[in-house]
Amino acid sequence: MLRIALKSALFNKRRLVGTGLSIVIGIAFLAGTLVFTDTIGRTFDTLFADVYKTTDTYVRSSSEIDVGFGQKLYDRLPESILAEIKAVDGVDDAVANVGGFARVIGKDGKPIGVDNGSPNFGMSITDNPLEAWQKVGDSVYPRGGEQMMMDAGTAKKGKFTLGDKVNVISQGGNRVFTLVGTVRFGNADSPGGSTFALFDVPTAQSFVGKTGEIDAVQVAAEPGVTERTLADRVQKALGPDTTVLTGAEITKESQNAVGDALSFINILLLVFAAVALFVGSFIIYNTFSIIVAQKQRENALLRAVGASRGQIISSILVESVIVGLIASAVGFVAGIGMSTVLKNLMATFGIDIPAGGVVLLPRTAIVSFAVGVVMTVFAAVSPSVRASRVAPVAAMRDVALDKSATSRGRLIAGLLVSFVGALLVVVGLTGNVRQLGLGVPLLFMGIFVLGPLIARPVAGFIGAPLPRVVGMTGTLARQNSMRNPKRTARTAAALMVGVSLVTGISVLAASVTSSVRSIIGDQFVGDFVVNTRTQGFGGLPPELTQKLNALPEVGSASSLQLGYGNVEDRTKASALSVVDPKTIGDAFDMKFISGKASDLTATGILVSEKRAKKDGLTVGATVNLRLLDGVKRPLRVQGVYQKDELAGPYTISEELFRSSGADLFSFAVFGTKAPGISEAKAMSAVESVTRDYPTGKLLSRSSYIDEQSKQINQFVNLIYGLLALAVIIAIFGITNTLSLSVYERTRELGLLRAVGAFRSQVRSSVRWESVITALLGTAQGIVIGILLGYAVIISLRDEGLRSFTIPVTTLIVVVVLAVIAGIVAAIRPAGRAAKLNILEALARH
Amino acid sequence: MAPTDTLVTQSTAPTRTSAASTIDASKVYGSDDSEVTAVDHVTVAFETGRFSAIMGPSGSGKSTLMHCMAGLDPLTSGQAFIGDVDLTTLHDKQLTKLRRDKVGFVFQSYNLVPSLSALENITLPDLLAGRKPDQAWLDRVVQTVGLADRLTHRPSELSGGQQQRVAVARALVARPEIIFADEPTGNLDSHASTEILEFMRRAVIDLGQTIVMVTHDPVAASFSDHIVFLADGRVVDEMDQPTAERVLDRMRQFGS
Repeated sequence: MLRIALKSALFNKRRLVGTGLSIVIGIAFLAGTLVFTDTIGRTFDTLFADVYKTTDTYVRSSSEIDVGFGQKLYDRLPESILAEIKAVDGVDDAVANVGGFARVIGKDGKPIGVDNGSPNFGMSITDNPLEAWQKVGDSVYPRGGEQMMMDAGTAKKGKFTLGDKVNVISQGGNRVFTLVGTVRFGNADSPGGSTFALFDVPTAQSFVGKTGEIDAVQVAAEPGVTERTLADRVQKALGPDTTVLTGAEITKESQNAVGDALSFINILLLVFAAVALFVGSFIIYNTFSIIVAQKQRENALLRAVGASRGQIISSILVESVIVGLIASAVGFVAGIGMSTVLKNLMATFGIDIPAGGVVLLPRTAIVSFAVGVVMTVFAAVSPSVRASRVAPVAAMRDVALDKSATSRGRLIAGLLVSFVGALLVVVGLTGNVRQLGLGVPLLFMGIFVLGPLIARPVAGFIGAPLPRVVGMTGTLARQNSMRNPKRTARTAAALMVGVSLVTGISVLAASVTSSVRSIIGDQFVGDFVVNTRTQGFGGLPPELTQKLNALPEVGSASSLQLGYGNVEDRTKASALSVVDPKTIGDAFDMKFISGKASDLTATGILVSEKRAKKDGLTVGATVNLRLLDGVKRPLRVQGVYQKDELAGPYTISEELFRSSGADLFSFAVFGTKAPGISEAKAMSAVESVTRDYPTGKLLSRSSYIDEQSKQINQFVNLIYGLLALAVIIAIFGITNTLSLSVYERTRELGLLRAVGAFRSQVRSSVRWESVITALLGTAQGIVIGILLGYAVIISLRDEGLRSFTIPVTTLIVVVVLAVIAGIVAAIRPAGRAAKLNILEALARH
Repeated sequence: MAPTDTLVTQSTAPTRTSAASTIDASKVYGSDDSEVTAVDHVTVAFETGRFSAIMGPSGSGKSTLMHCMAGLDPLTSGQAFIGDVDLTTLHDKQLTKLRRDKVGFVFQSYNLVPSLSALENITLPDLLAGRKPDQAWLDRVVQTVGLADRLTHRPSELSGGQQQRVAVARALVARPEIIFADEPTGNLDSHASTEILEFMRRAVIDLGQTIVMVTHDPVAASFSDHIVFLADGRVVDEMDQPTAERVLDRMRQFGS
């Protein structure tokens, strides 16, 4: 029996390829994701191992705020601590690090590096051997407030040579430095894809950090003193205000932090790999079902001559194992290439992550093969059982048409599974991701079961105009798409999954877009914005706001900063809006229920209505807030505002934030024009100032609203890119089904040709059948996608998402693409159908 | 073009009254050492308005000859004509058009497209050509075939005999210059066979249709006006006004 299965699998290579392809793509994505994230992980692991290679002990402040995604903010230390450390017994050498945000401006006036990917650093550098950098060529270390170095990668990108004047923007404003050197990092020009502007310690302190303060100290031990011993001694000497780590600990910690930050990308990609594999399993199931139907007589014959049911089942399962193994192997190899594709795809959408040589772990191979084989076999189980149920007498009969598509059992089972799936989706949307992850596939499976019930009427409906438009071939296409509803439905279902996700996402995006538009339009009452795309780290220096406020054409300019703090000892840090109470009210209308923005002082806090209700806060109540310096400040509630979509739950003053020692950056500056000044005049005055700060983008009120509402598009496009894979797999599924159908209908195609159908007519009938199938899947997908999108939006109602918008244009594009996909999917099978030799086709049994 | 009711004197040489004919036609399969000559220098003509049969034992080349004459298979050498159109000068598209417009087919089995109704199958060549069938003619054919109450049925809902009647009706409705029938009764019981053969005869007599039937069954052949006997790819005899007995006798002479 094993030999029969092997022969059957290898005999029909085309079938093997058709089935395997859907798995190959899914496994390639899975393996590619693992290789990609492993490679990034290894790159950063190596990077940090190098950074702290010579560091035996690492000292930083013990005051920290955990902002999530593996990121922590640390307070600074007084620079006097360096001398204290050097005095500890066993310390050979120590060097202070000063760091913060700084952005190098290229000769073309545009900032170098990316806005929201690898960060842009300003740091201190000395000739101390503890520093991880190596000088390049004739470089010298910077001395004094007018010299700088940079990493060789940034110098290359900006085409800078030694002696060039370089503009750098940081907390300290826009300053010009002379480039005196470049550095490399091991053999990397630009470690981790970041940009580095490097200064001597006092310059770094005044420009990117804080005068008199340092961020951390790297310590080297005397020979014979272990890392642990030294760390313990330093800790003892410095006391509880510092955290002292060994070199190994700080290395591990940095590696883990990057790992945590990257796990988001890992999970995102794995979700799409799962979608691709899920769609692939539909196709395997469908293919095996068709094969089993086509081999009914053969299996009946085997049964008649004495094969047991178990042998029939195992013959098909063995074939599925072979398909699974070969497909996994091909997919695994393709995955290595796919990792590069993924890297480029992420980079295209702004997530540019450096990666070194390809990292191939045994785990990647094991997972690829296990998933590929298990999925293929799993999808083949039910068809194989069905095959084994064939009565031996069927060998003597003509194959009966499969009419079981419309049983009552199917209706009940389908409705039940869909219902449970939908229920889990609804429950899952209230915050339980696991139930959502279970509910969506279940819902799809329910629809998959129900598919054959609706496939006939819906395919008939979709194909109804065809006879009139393309004549007889249209009639044939329509009839063929209706003649085996199970097959058509299963083929369409694969496409349904991808289309419903695309539709759901586009509904969500359209709704977010219109929601953002109305929120900003509602609350932003200013005339212009200087906007950045930095998220949390860095931004525009405070001096920009001061300069704008000094312009006679400007009414007021108010900066907005994102800060973090721990409220009431909660472990999870809260986001804080940091504002200038005097001016923020000019640009924003937060709809104060009590108090007003200008009531806010350095000892007070403004809270949102929602937050106030939850915590029972009113004006005059006390909120305890711990900022970066670790000091717990009792703050008086000085106002409660209704509109929290932009400001979030808490708003504090710049003055308070500054007193905690945090760096000051605005992620945007909002302004109004002075009374009686034309918009054009105000904008050109503002532009004369913002010209020197190219990290910001000057926008009018309306273009700012446009830009913000479209912000989600980039992310949505990335998701479309990833979902394209599921759609491509589904197209292969259509091709596969059509190929099997064409094979099955060889004689009737021969007949058509004999009685006078042109090759082009045969081709056209297959093509239109494909288009009907594609449109069937698309129609189902759009309906389900809109429902899913609606469910998500309802669940996000409390988060400020208040509009439900159906993106008609996008959906029309989806339908047009589906027609094209159908045509493309039909190319090969239609070509094969048209090329049939009439006499051979007629003679086929 | 229009079928004529007149019986014309038969002749083996191609004339203007031949519905289909060949001149020195050969068909060789395979190449070099494995060559098989299926049709060997055959010159034959089938008269317009008659019911002709091609007979011969299996392997005699009768089906191949028919396929070549019907434009389904190219000749290796020689010429084949439908009316006065030389098939060997036509390319695939022209041949397809010729089959659609001038030739009707009835095969042994699997004559119908399973997804189409009986009526759609009957009018298939017209539908493929994108033209309206002649309704009066269609009614007459359907009436003659006796399928009026079966027109909306799918092939799977018809008996074998009914399916073949639909096939014959399809061949007739397009009013082809000639109908080629390849063992049309091969899969039918004797009752259904007789029905189909009677029906084909009537089509020749009543409707003036030209039919060429390939068969190895002497009883089926006896329904025709004229028989061409084939053996080893060559025309070995012809017979007019055959009866089953005479055909059987003639066949016995071929066999060992």
